[in-house]
Amino acid sequence: MQPTPPLADYLRHLTRRTFIGQAARGIGGVALGSLLSSSIARAVEAKGKGRPGLPHFAPKAKRVLCLFQSGGLSHVDLFDDKPMLHKHAGLEIPASIKGTQRLTGMTSGQSAYPVVPPLKTGQLCGKHGTWISDLLPHIQTIADDICIIKSLHTEAINHDPAITYMNTGNQLPGYASMGAWASYGLGTENENLPAFIAMVSQGTGKNPGQPVFSRLWGSGFLPASHQGVGLRPGANPVLYLDNPPGIERTQRRAQLDDLAKLNHQRADELGDPETLARIDAYEMAFRMQTSVPELTDISKESPATLDAYGPEVRKPGTYAANCLLARRLLERDVRFVQLFHRGWDQHIAIGRQLPNQCHDIDQPTAALIKDLKARGLLEDTLVVFATEFGRTVFGQGKLGDPAMGRDHHGRAFTVWLAGGGIKGGMEYGATDDFCYNITENPVHLRDLHATILHCLGIDHAKFTHKFRGLNVRLTGVEEAHVVRGILA
Amino acid sequence: MRFRSLLSPLVYGLPWLGGVAAFAGAAEVDLPAKVEFNRDIRPIMSDTCFHCHGPDATSREAGLRLDLRDEALKKTKSDLVPIVPGNVTESEIIARIFDRDEPMPPAKAHKPLTERQQALMKRWVEQGAVYEPHWAYAPLQRPALPVGAKKGNPIDAFVEAKLAEKKLTLSPEAPRNRLLRRVSLDLTGLPPTPEELAAGGRNFFGNGYVKQVDRLLSSAHYGERMAVWWLDIARFADTVGFHGDQNQRIFPYRDYVINAFNANKRFDQFTLEQLAGDLLPNPTPEQLVATGYNRLNMMTREGGAQPKEYLAKYGAERVRSVSAAWFGSTFGCAECHDHKFDPIKTRDFYELQSFFADVKQWGVYSDYTYTKNPELAGFNNDYPVPPEIEVPSPYLAGRRDRAAAELNAHVLAGRARAADPAAAGRWAAWQESARAFLARVPAGWEQPAPVAALLRANKTVPGASPLVTPEGAVSTAKALARGEALRVTLPPEPGPLAALRVEAFPPAEAPNPETLTRARAAAAITVAVAVRAASGKERKVPVAFADANAKDPRYRDGAELHGIGAGWKLPAPRPAEPLVGVWLFDGPVTLASGETLEITVTGETTVPMRFSTSPFGAARPLDVAPAALAAALTAKKPSAGQRALLVDTWLLSTADDRAGFDHHKQLAANLRELRDGRTWSLITQAVAEPLPVRVLPRGNWQDETGPVVLPATPSFLPARRESTTEKRLTRLDLAQWIVSPENPITARAVMNRLWLQFFGVGLSAAVDDLGSQGELPSHPELLDWLASEFRDSGWDMKHMIRLIVTSRTYRQDSNLRPELRDTDPANRLLASQNPRRLEAEFVRDNALFVAGALNLADIGGPSVKPYQPDGYYDALQFPDRKYVASTDGEQWRRGVYMHWQRTFLHPMLANFDAPSRDECAALRTVSNTPQQALTLLNDPTFVEAARLFAARLLGDPQAKTDVQHLRRAYQLALAREPSAAEFSSLAKFIATQRATYRANPADAEKLLKVGLAPRTPVKLDADALELAAWTNLCRVLLNAHETITRY
Repeated sequence: MQPTPPLADYLRHLTRRTFIGQAARGIGGVALGSLLSSSIARAVEAKGKGRPGLPHFAPKAKRVLCLFQSGGLSHVDLFDDKPMLHKHAGLEIPASIKGTQRLTGMTSGQSAYPVVPPLKTGQLCGKHGTWISDLLPHIQTIADDICIIKSLHTEAINHDPAITYMNTGNQLPGYASMGAWASYGLGTENENLPAFIAMVSQGTGKNPGQPVFSRLWGSGFLPASHQGVGLRPGANPVLYLDNPPGIERTQRRAQLDDLAKLNHQRADELGDPETLARIDAYEMAFRMQTSVPELTDISKESPATLDAYGPEVRKPGTYAANCLLARRLLERDVRFVQLFHRGWDQHIAIGRQLPNQCHDIDQPTAALIKDLKARGLLEDTLVVFATEFGRTVFGQGKLGDPAMGRDHHGRAFTVWLAGGGIKGGMEYGATDDFCYNITENPVHLRDLHATILHCLGIDHAKFTHKFRGLNVRLTGVEEAHVVRGILA
Repeated sequence: MRFRSLLSPLVYGLPWLGGVAAFAGAAEVDLPAKVEFNRDIRPIMSDTCFHCHGPDATSREAGLRLDLRDEALKKTKSDLVPIVPGNVTESEIIARIFDRDEPMPPAKAHKPLTERQQALMKRWVEQGAVYEPHWAYAPLQRPALPVGAKKGNPIDAFVEAKLAEKKLTLSPEAPRNRLLRRVSLDLTGLPPTPEELAAGGRNFFGNGYVKQVDRLLSSAHYGERMAVWWLDIARFADTVGFHGDQNQRIFPYRDYVINAFNANKRFDQFTLEQLAGDLLPNPTPEQLVATGYNRLNMMTREGGAQPKEYLAKYGAERVRSVSAAWFGSTFGCAECHDHKFDPIKTRDFYELQSFFADVKQWGVYSDYTYTKNPELAGFNNDYPVPPEIEVPSPYLAGRRDRAAAELNAHVLAGRARAADPAAAGRWAAWQESARAFLARVPAGWEQPAPVAALLRANKTVPGASPLVTPEGAVSTAKALARGEALRVTLPPEPGPLAALRVEAFPPAEAPNPETLTRARAAAAITVAVAVRAASGKERKVPVAFADANAKDPRYRDGAELHGIGAGWKLPAPRPAEPLVGVWLFDGPVTLASGETLEITVTGETTVPMRFSTSPFGAARPLDVAPAALAAALTAKKPSAGQRALLVDTWLLSTADDRAGFDHHKQLAANLRELRDGRTWSLITQAVAEPLPVRVLPRGNWQDETGPVVLPATPSFLPARRESTTEKRLTRLDLAQWIVSPENPITARAVMNRLWLQFFGVGLSAAVDDLGSQGELPSHPELLDWLASEFRDSGWDMKHMIRLIVTSRTYRQDSNLRPELRDTDPANRLLASQNPRRLEAEFVRDNALFVAGALNLADIGGPSVKPYQPDGYYDALQFPDRKYVASTDGEQWRRGVYMHWQRTFLHPMLANFDAPSRDECAALRTVSNTPQQALTLLNDPTFVEAARLFAARLLGDPQAKTDVQHLRRAYQLALAREPSAAEFSSLAKFIATQRATYRANPADAEKLLKVGLAPRTPVKLDADALELAAWTNLCRVLLNAHETITRY
């Protein structure tokens, strides 16, 4: 049943005004567009369209895949080896290198700061010969597809602020996550799935790992429809997705039809446009009941594909299983897919923990990149392999003690990107001989955010949302620059 | 009127003007005859000029400042005058605005002016460039009522005057039931009952409606509803928010808020108590609980976090939250720089922060080996977050009384057993053996000679023989390490044993917290008991409960553990009396000849301990009373009390009635859980020496070059108060200034937010920003009138709410008025009410209330845990969290009592837009998402509610037919009659459902099993199918948009 013409007409009218509202009404009051508490805008919002005027220019990537390594991945051990680390092994880090920058409370009281070289040997990989640890043999094979940024930096040195910063652009809670911004700006391309999906896995390196928070995929001040929807292992992948026991799908359909009928009748009488958005939301929920199980059913994946991701892929909830789901989500044009893999916080026993942690992610990550490539998805999917900070080149604890680890290091660390918009097979930025300070092309995490948005065709400076009097951006109030040197 | 933005020919002549074309395309635009600064110009300037030409000196360009008229009229360095009132051609800003090549604002700002904005600026200068003080900061004076206002509610006079300007009138009053549902939901968060609808309907016109309003305002549920509003502002939560997001104990603060609204506490008093209750003369416990407000900032325990960084965060958060709550202002911007749009200076930010520098707190609420925290020695992630006070909780006291009565009744009933002939033999035999035991061991505790050994990984360490003192106490020379245990073998006489006693003899001197490791500081003694047969085989002795005469508290997940069963932390400093702990066995064990009692002690301790055993149990461990027993056993004629003691001891020592023994154990545990009706709550404690507060350059806490500032009220608001070197202002001074009649902003901010509660949008829609970047109120005089009335009425909240909800503006119908689509698409003129989707808590309350399942028995109390999907807290660590849903009546308490986990808010709350309350949340977004649909359809809370709703309908003795059930369902859920179309559609629906479940009865059974509420008392044994069918119909109704909306 359709809404009666006058109401539908009115609704369209309201909607149009909302989206040109900034200009149409902007003076003498808050523009309609920011009055999201009024019921008007959401009928269209429920359809998942993005902001008017976006993208600002032709995007190189339509989707984003963020493989977030939670806890602080050791750039020293995995990507940033230097001859000096071996020469200087066991010796105190030079004061000129260590400088006066702050350390966390865990190591600030240490009596010595001896340099600890990478755990394992590595290979010079790809045509450009970039060093990657032998702890990541599969990732070594995709060196030509990825762009390794060795000069990322952040001011935060503790997990909570650092991971919140990396994911929302602010160290304090309350801000919108990267994926929420993408959903808000560009909307969805798939009416049967949310635009932003997040998955969490626990690594075998350090178990349990550092906590992650729902705000990392939250919508902050943006409308709640843009928050990341968590996809969980097991029979009920999305919260409340399953019908109650004793309700068949046909019954649910009948129920929804009846509900829609009642809602329409009331919408006609009361003229509340919100009712129509409600009907749409119920329909989307109904479609998700089919689309999500279909998504998580990997029984039709070929044995070759499954094998490529490694044995863990068959175990729901693992990083490997989530990688495969990520590919299936990207195939379905989900705008932003984010994995969080916990357990990278190697303060202690790095020698025992790190190999396990690497093993979790090495094969599946490489397989995912290759799989995306083989299916032609990599060219318009931006892949961001990131973490909240790196780890210190000096040891935490006693040198030679199996319990030794590395502390947090935000001054310089490594992330890598691949896919749509990115030049593969290169390194960008550099650190000093002790991979402690940046010597070339520093990239602040804000610059990374600006670059992600750029690949999506968005000028970060123009993409704002008014909140408490401020035009808030993902990149915050400080300057941010697109990292042009890595763009394809 | 029409205005054509024609350019004076003179302007063309100016060399720096880009050219003619800039004006050639100027179209006709609507402009007001009289341009007003606040309404027309300030929003433009704030949005496009102030960033570079506003209050912030550091980002000011070309030395040009436009927010102050005097400055804007001065010649700049380049010898041009920005604004020459009345002279457009001489005014540089006008020229620059119309500059075609390099227009202001510059392109890089991405904020080009529209033609209309340009024209407005020009006309404003033409008309003399008159500035007005920002509306929110201007002195608050009660405005006169509009000319020609009729008698009656002044709110209507203001609203109708505005409508009249557009030749509009209010909508007619909403139909009676709709209005009663609206006002019930708005004032109590609950819909009206059919009875209330019937009663309210009788004399609705005239005084009837007002009577209904007064009834609702005096309901205890009014406070629960209003608390939801304030708790968002106060950022009330059950957890600390950062990192491990551990629990904090502060529910009494929520009770305080509920009670304050119910008692209609004056808002000025409410303010004083929360900000500075501890500084009032002789503060009451209630006033101290209120100061929990200052402690509701997020806190951390993250390892490695630097205390100073977090102290800076806590300080800054308080400024943001206090300024948001009481000023509706965005002070946050001024943490790093002078505000770009409002006259808030960085110094204002830190001066406001300085008021709170006396709040006792720690940057990191934990004790780490690498960053010692002697004041919090032993504190880990399981500990609470001090300072706290212990206060009585009426809710817990009520439950305690009920639990105590239940236990008492059980004990009384149990005594009949002694008179039961079937048990007479055992009863007599026990008395005989008890007498014999006490004759042999008059002290009542047998103290067999111990043999001790040191175990490592469960193996005896050869050569390491623990010390046994002549008094029979055992100790080790070195503290037990992890994996080590002290094994003590006791050979009591064969026979029954019901309890183990441990006497501990710690050294008189407490360990130095400066040198203690956290593990050591938190160390506790744990005791495990087993019986060892001659064969060497051991059987574990389960313990029912253990407690000591003195102990330091131990915690799990922020809650104090009961007893010492999970570990006995010896008190420091050591008390004068000897330390005694007693372990009551879970039913007696009987030692055969040759069997020994094996005690395994773990925990980092060197304290000598002496062990003894007893055949006597008791209700509580320390109640084992051999002397009284001996007297009773040997009395010629035992008194009633002595006889009761004997019977109780018999039952508790022998578990003669095993089921009764177990039930007793459960009831005693229930009673303990209520902690004698007392609980803890975070409070503000003032330290003697407030921390120095510096202006932090760019907000950098590591930069100590900024000046130290003292408390002062914001410089841009009237009646400023500043500290002097002699007199430092306090939080109380701040609070008093906030509620002083001279402060114009608080009354405005609070009334604006209150309006939102009843109309869905504030008079100024940006309720969280009353600054330049916010919105001029749609009805500025009305807002000022409300604010004045609020202040002058003695900050009387109920008075203001009563005024609002009895106005015709509030009472009008909410139907859409399509004829207003052009004049007022967002309904800011209020020619009709706005429908409002219920807030998360009330979506829940409403469904449960309609189902007849909402537990409204008590007001206040600890947070409750409704059903939540398994594994939802999996990513939450330090410590690991397991969510256990409430299993008793607490499962169906109101949403306001739901456990508020900041990092993982209950998905039902989160899906319906409840904020995580990390900081002050004045404005909830209202979304409409598939997640909401899934929640209402499938969350067990709502499925169960539908089942209970259906049972309620079918159990109604008055109703027999489908039609009757449907009518009742509509009355309950929607306060109205179903339409004919609804009837026919639902009648068809119920028929299909019946058919479905007749074909699949097993499905009906499955559906009816959802939820903990027992299958209803309705007689439906024969017809579970009918209940299932109606459950589905009720699910449809509970999911209807109308049900979760108040019209």
